[in-house]
Amino acid sequence: MIPEALVVDRGVSAGDSWLTVDPAKVHDALSALKDEGYSLLVFLTCVDHLLDSSRNWPARYELLYELRNLETREQVRVRAFVDGDPPHIDSVHDLFPPANWDERETYDMFGVVFENHPDLTRILMPDDWVGHPLRRDYPVGGEVVEFSEEHETWQTAPEKA
Amino acid sequence: MTTEIGQGITVDRTGETGAFGGELLTVNFGPHHPSTHGVLRLVVDLDGEQVKRIKPVIGYLHTGIEKQMEALRWQQGVVVTDRHDYLSPPINNLAYALAVERLMGVEVPPRAQALRVIMCELTRLSSHLVWMGTSGLELGAMSMLMYCFRDRDTIMDMNEEISGFRMHTSYIRPGGVFADATPRFLDMLDRFTAKTMTKNVDEYEALLTDNPIWRRRTIGIGRLSAEDAKVLGATGPMLRGSGVAWDLRKAMPYSGYENYDFEIATSDLCDCYGRYLVRIKEMRESVKILRQALDRLPDGPINVDDRKMLPPPREELETSMEAVIHHFKLFTEGYSVPPGDVYVAVESGRGENGCYISSDGTHKPRRVKFRSASFVNLQALERMALNHFIADMIAIIGTADTVLGDCDR
Repeated sequence: MIPEALVVDRGVSAGDSWLTVDPAKVHDALSALKDEGYSLLVFLTCVDHLLDSSRNWPARYELLYELRNLETREQVRVRAFVDGDPPHIDSVHDLFPPANWDERETYDMFGVVFENHPDLTRILMPDDWVGHPLRRDYPVGGEVVEFSEEHETWQTAPEKA
Repeated sequence: MTTEIGQGITVDRTGETGAFGGELLTVNFGPHHPSTHGVLRLVVDLDGEQVKRIKPVIGYLHTGIEKQMEALRWQQGVVVTDRHDYLSPPINNLAYALAVERLMGVEVPPRAQALRVIMCELTRLSSHLVWMGTSGLELGAMSMLMYCFRDRDTIMDMNEEISGFRMHTSYIRPGGVFADATPRFLDMLDRFTAKTMTKNVDEYEALLTDNPIWRRRTIGIGRLSAEDAKVLGATGPMLRGSGVAWDLRKAMPYSGYENYDFEIATSDLCDCYGRYLVRIKEMRESVKILRQALDRLPDGPINVDDRKMLPPPREELETSMEAVIHHFKLFTEGYSVPPGDVYVAVESGRGENGCYISSDGTHKPRRVKFRSASFVNLQALERMALNHFIADMIAIIGTADTVLGDCDR
């Protein structure tokens, strides 16, 4: 069983049970849940709660870990709230290998830094991309369209260079 | 020398210096190589012709689908889900629709559920047909593509008949389905399941199952043990081809799959040939499900009776002021979904395709995340292809059946 000391809050959302843990202890919590039988990390992602007034959020970024017990078919969603720019949290790739790419994607899209990750680089966006597209303050349509006229001027080196 | 790649899985990296006395040769495989089924780039370290290390580089087909969903209203998002795994649009639609419905607390009528199952199974067939055609083409069975696309075209015709579109149908929507099945559609489906498809799957088996070239190219290639498959999070035919009987349609039934009688296709071979056998069996099972769905197709409405979620019928607009208000609100503002979050997983042709939605109570989603099978299954590639010849890697990428649109979203 996951030690109660690690759990900050728990509940059910639309039929899915979830529990919130202290972000500093996310590795311990997931390790305890894994020992309990939740052997599959279905996905790992982040939600940006910038200017979200629907509830009282403890922090801007909500990290989510959906775990599944393949024997009992139970699922649990682990939440951890982090703040900061960039936000930091421990990597869980050593517990669940599929987390490796999921963490890279979350880093790429939200700029969440996963400590102890073996290769925390961008995975979907180009390596030289500026910004983290899935943050709520990143505009849709703000990027220059490639091969357009604007792109042409943007790409050419300045005259005096 | 063995190196641990996590979770106690070790890979043999002996001969790092190369058996031919030279260094390892790094080759860029892709992104535009036809056998990568899209735009997948693999940085491969080769010792002679043996693969010693693979680093998949993805993102070439990233289209920002999750970001787009945040800018679209709930009912508009369906159109984007089609484009994500472009070989199985209705299955993605279903994951999204089920997630929205669970947040709203509505359940669609039985006829809509059965029509959803029909569309999903047709899509699974067409997805497996594309897989078999292209994999056959790559591994020396050139005519497979022609045969497979013949049946796929029939499925496309059925898509067109029921939804008006051949590929990106947007047929399954939150609250039900787009339109009722026409008599012509049911007729086509009847002919397709009763005669065409059963006969044709036999034909495909005659072409491939005992084909010596196909067997030599797939048996013993790309082994993935059951333990490794589970640890690496593989789902779908990749997992079942390793002997694990896990199918979301049975394990966590949705949309009424518990009412259909079918078997989980598995194979203990754990190699490319095993994954091929699983897909062949799944095609037969899909035809079985389609038959049952067609025979027991219930009558009744195809949408939930909720004016706050779906527009009123045309006739009502002429007589009811309230209907006009609902219509106006739906097409200007859209509906809002109660705050909360939900994850719904469905079984696509490739494995577990899920949809996670976080709602903040407004008329647009706060966050939509697609859990795609290709993205996770691709991580098992190095495990499967290590110490194989580079030509065998084609077979392994082929039978992993990644769709890069699904992978990169």
